[in-house]
Amino acid sequence: MSNWERLVWNQRGLLLQGLAVTVEICAIAFAMAIVGGLVLCLVRLHVRPLRPAAIALIEFFRATPIFVQLMWVNYVWPELFGWPNSFFTSGWVALGLQSSGYLAETFRAGIEAVPKGHREAGYSVGMSPFQVYRRIVLPETLLTVAPSIVNQFTVIVKSSTLVSVITVPDLMLQAMKLVNIWYEPIEVLTATAAIYIGVVFLVSTAGKALADFQRRRFGLNAT
Amino acid sequence: MDAVPAIRVVDLRKSFGALEVLRGVSFDVHRGSVVSMIGASGSGKSTLLRCINRLERPSAGEVFIDGEPMGGPVTASGERKERPLKDINRMRRDLGMVFQQFNLWPHMTVIGNVIEAPLRVRRMSRKDAIQLAEECLARVHLSEKGKEYPARLSGGQMQRVAIARALAMQPKAMLFDEPTSSLDPELTDEVLTVMRELAADGTTMIVVTHEMAFARDASDRVLFLHNGQIEEEGPPDQVFGQPRSERCRQFLSKKLQ
Repeated sequence: MSNWERLVWNQRGLLLQGLAVTVEICAIAFAMAIVGGLVLCLVRLHVRPLRPAAIALIEFFRATPIFVQLMWVNYVWPELFGWPNSFFTSGWVALGLQSSGYLAETFRAGIEAVPKGHREAGYSVGMSPFQVYRRIVLPETLLTVAPSIVNQFTVIVKSSTLVSVITVPDLMLQAMKLVNIWYEPIEVLTATAAIYIGVVFLVSTAGKALADFQRRRFGLNAT
Repeated sequence: MDAVPAIRVVDLRKSFGALEVLRGVSFDVHRGSVVSMIGASGSGKSTLLRCINRLERPSAGEVFIDGEPMGGPVTASGERKERPLKDINRMRRDLGMVFQQFNLWPHMTVIGNVIEAPLRVRRMSRKDAIQLAEECLARVHLSEKGKEYPARLSGGQMQRVAIARALAMQPKAMLFDEPTSSLDPELTDEVLTVMRELAADGTTMIVVTHEMAFARDASDRVLFLHNGQIEEEGPPDQVFGQPRSERCRQFLSKKLQ
């Protein structure tokens, strides 16, 4: 029996369980990052009194290490706010917060790239600012920033390995468990890396294909 | 000629900081008439047009659409309060705007661009909106392009879709802001043809243009703007034939060379 078979293949159940947790936590964090990023960005651009607060949050989330954020969310927040109450929740909240900061800036760049004339065309036919935003600005923004959003998802996938330090049973934690049973890390970690590569590749390829499909549908150049 | 003009502009002024772009412009546009605005770049033509539908807020003066002022009423203390945006939006519906850069929405099909405002602003049913859009596209000779996306059209076609989009709101007047300036000469004609047809149909139009032939043949009145003021105005025969102002004469002699 080769090492690969003994250390990796025979333990695939555990690794797959970990993978499921990784996928789940990343998906929730990603959804939170998109909503959070959009809210932060819109507040920054359009709610003048709250603008400094939004900028401060964006910069804070972007500039602090994900590890420290995890510690804060997991150990300090429950003291301050009585929430989150599980490691899993702490994990996606911290991941989501950091990516919110990045995506807020991505959205801002995308919104500012929408030609002013496209909005004016909306106003000139009597659309309200809200309608112009919902029907023109946001769809055009999404089209522009889709590749960056997909990219941010891959960042989340890789950052998610850190949730293992607060004992969320993700792929990384399960891999480390296996390592700590036999103290033979190379095969397990290599296999784990391969799984991460596979996930990231799958997500970025699917994301790019989807974005390109949309752009081509509109007769625009693929990215 | 009817008593209340479709558009009345009274002593309109607009400054950007210290730069005075419009320095008191007044004129009337009567229903069914076509007014062309000519003048050198920077003379304030586009700003004037944008002030009329309030994409720019005038610094002073007033625009009346069918007798209704676009600016808010003057209060007892003599201050003018800006109308709520809702009112301005309602009045903007009556003014179709066509931009130099077309400004079609790239993520919507041609028909999508045209039905958007009838659906969302006029709250028409989709069926009615599509029927209306098809009529508008027929008027600009693009019936067969409804399902295309703007990026697949030529510049001239895009501008004609933009005209159809503005027509779909059944506006009281159409404002054209240099509609052919970003088009190749061979594409200019197809847009001008559509505009001539609209004019012949009795559409009220204000056209900012560098196309002197259009201004001469298709308009009822020509305004020559210089430094934010109307320097010369009159029927095309007079403005092009015997301009009173020296500047207008110079401008035209350069343009018509």
